[in-house]
Amino acid sequence: MSDLLAGTWGLTRFDLRRDRILATAWTFFLLLVVYASATATDTLYPTEQSRVAAAELINASPAAVALYGPILDVTSLGEVAMTKTTVLYGMFVMGFGVILVRRHTRTEEETGRQELLAATVVGRDAPLASALVEATLVMTAVGALAAVAAAAGGLPVAGSVLFGLSWWGSGVVGIGVGAVTAQLSASARTCGIAAAGTVGVFYLMRAAGDVGPQWLSWLSPLGWNTQLRAWSEPRLWVLALYPALAAALVGTAAVLRGRRDLGGGLLAERPGPATGSPRLRDVLALTLRVHSHALVAWTVGAAVMGAVFGSLVPNLGSIFDSPTGQEMLARLGGSGAVEDAMLAAILSVVAMVLTGFGIAVVVRGGVDENDGRTEQVLATATPRGLSFTAVLAVALLGTTWLLLVTGVATGIGYGAQAGLSGPLSRSLGAALAPLPAAWLVGALAMLCLSFGSRWAPVGWALLVGFVTVGLVGELLDLPGWVVGLSPYSHVAPVPSEPVDWTVEAVLTGLAVLVGAAAWFGYRRRDIG
Amino acid sequence: MNPVETRGLVKTFGATRALDGLDLTVAAGEVHGFLGPNGAGKSTTIRALLGLLRTQGGSASVFGLDPWRDSVEIHRRVAYVPGDVSLWPNLTGGETIDLLLRMREVTPDPGARADLLDRFELDPTKKGRAYSKGNRQKVALVAAFAAPTDLLILDEPTSGLDPLMEQVFNQCLAEHKAEGTTVLLSSHILSEVEQLADRVTIIREGRTVETGSLAELRHLRRNRVQAEITGQPPRLDGVPGLHDVAVDGTVLSCLVDPEGLVPLLEALTGAGVRSLTSTPPTLEEVFLDLYRGAST
Repeated sequence: MSDLLAGTWGLTRFDLRRDRILATAWTFFLLLVVYASATATDTLYPTEQSRVAAAELINASPAAVALYGPILDVTSLGEVAMTKTTVLYGMFVMGFGVILVRRHTRTEEETGRQELLAATVVGRDAPLASALVEATLVMTAVGALAAVAAAAGGLPVAGSVLFGLSWWGSGVVGIGVGAVTAQLSASARTCGIAAAGTVGVFYLMRAAGDVGPQWLSWLSPLGWNTQLRAWSEPRLWVLALYPALAAALVGTAAVLRGRRDLGGGLLAERPGPATGSPRLRDVLALTLRVHSHALVAWTVGAAVMGAVFGSLVPNLGSIFDSPTGQEMLARLGGSGAVEDAMLAAILSVVAMVLTGFGIAVVVRGGVDENDGRTEQVLATATPRGLSFTAVLAVALLGTTWLLLVTGVATGIGYGAQAGLSGPLSRSLGAALAPLPAAWLVGALAMLCLSFGSRWAPVGWALLVGFVTVGLVGELLDLPGWVVGLSPYSHVAPVPSEPVDWTVEAVLTGLAVLVGAAAWFGYRRRDIG
Repeated sequence: MNPVETRGLVKTFGATRALDGLDLTVAAGEVHGFLGPNGAGKSTTIRALLGLLRTQGGSASVFGLDPWRDSVEIHRRVAYVPGDVSLWPNLTGGETIDLLLRMREVTPDPGARADLLDRFELDPTKKGRAYSKGNRQKVALVAAFAAPTDLLILDEPTSGLDPLMEQVFNQCLAEHKAEGTTVLLSSHILSEVEQLADRVTIIREGRTVETGSLAELRHLRRNRVQAEITGQPPRLDGVPGLHDVAVDGTVLSCLVDPEGLVPLLEALTGAGVRSLTSTPPTLEEVFLDLYRGAST
């Protein structure tokens, strides 16, 4: 081993040790989705005939194909069962790879922790190399366990193995993307935005290719997940594409790494204003400023996502004309008019995703406190309650803003496709109905922060828990009280059903109560 | 009324007693050195004085107010530089300085600010994440020094500065002192405090060990005596309070407690002295002595 790689194995073990909770949680969530999808399909489509009908319906709808990818063999149990997991959750696996690499490279450099290690007997390339090895090990575990979960759910073993390999492939490509983007900027957040953009482009390229010129799908690693044909007549050579692309990306990252200094980025840090604008005068302006870049990125994401989903809604109608389709739709959480149900179903999931912005703000508040920045703010004439309120306001109002943007963008996309009047009020209703639930989850995260800065990340665990319960609860037939733990599960599927004002009021009231409890707790505890 | 006053202050973190009956008095207009080794409780005391921590016992007051209850009122009259300055990664140094001043309810004075940036050789256009430790410290120092204030609380403020910048820091501190600012200066760098402080408080394991002016503290401690002898080295058995006696050829050196000084001089005179030096202890020695808990 060359000197540049000295210490790689030690760092790999260290990375694994640091990821033991994060990686376990992600893996568990992904496996649960695979297992639930595998077992539920048999009950959803008891006969091959009903399965074929469902698959043909999906293929007949450009919207569904754009969302999940086409079903290449309509007779295949595995392919129908894994409609959502192949591409859509494959994207989560890719994102997981990105997160692992960024976490152990750029984030460590930005905080200066890597410098501490770099001065020991650790080669210059060892931190990157160990992050790659560690993330690859985790992805291998995810792929292997996904194959086991699919087979355990009743799907053919050979197909399950290939499906697991396609996830592994998505993961290693994600690792490559993470490695390259981590070299770009000195800011871990900027690198994260670049990586999320890349994965998003992969997804959109595949969506465009699956409904239009097919060569576009072949340019996207997420398209390979479908084109592998894991469940029948597999194209084994496709499996070679993932490691080839990953290797090329990693090679690029290594070259880029060699051209920059520790802690530096390829995109030069631009100098900023020498004086503070008069508007930057209090802790609220400060908190808003800290999150301004993220808020812009999330707003763009929400607008694009809303417009795309909105334009899909009118096309989706045709899928659900059959009885089996109706049953599937009911499982998505809606009833009544097909399009309304689709709006409700999509936007309720989007609401959970957008709650993530609020949680990120709260968790950042914990990091600010840990690093001593909150202490500097509170050593000025800023009252404690105000510093707390700034975090709470940016978290909850940010989420509110993003849901509004989504509702409007969905309505615009929907209206442009359907040429209907009134889609805006329906999509806005669908987007805003889950808002009190999102507030409650944000307030719960603040409650965690009020126990101490180190508890703030528990907010993520809560959100992931609620999302998991919502996504797999009914597929796995979990008891009602378990599903009911998630605030989102109580919200009426607007616009299929009228807004349940009682539920909205109760959730809002709970959010206020929890927020107030957090406020009192925060004002009484030690800072730091 | 003293600007800062604590009596028997107690702060526990679980089973650890970080402050265990700490007494600290800072008189108006003085520079008060606050000395102790790492982990002695200096930063904990400062955080308690800023109302960031809740104490479990004893009393603390700043400007006669309760630090926990009246923290905002107190902070209007305080500028604080933490020991480990962390900046917002996407704010420039200049923005951070102005923000911190405005949050102290001070309107930044462009003249004073530009002068300080110049003296500290700080580039205000860099983003927070791009500054080195010393430069992060300078950002906090410029924000603290850029406006008049009643009380400066500085937690190991020069730990990242080079000697030239330390000089600039000393000048700034002297200027503020001349304007009547009270300063609480925590440090484990003794020479820094020796130069600047009117009085010092030395703490260890959350308790006050010594407090007083440097002159008062010196009275308590032993002198180092070095003498070149012309005749036979004298017998020193009868001299009380003698330590670390060493004879190297004709040179005798030792430490002597105040009560042993006269008998020692008599013994040396009897032996014949060619040259004699007696140096008061540096704070360093006082410090080490106290930490050893040594009375031997």
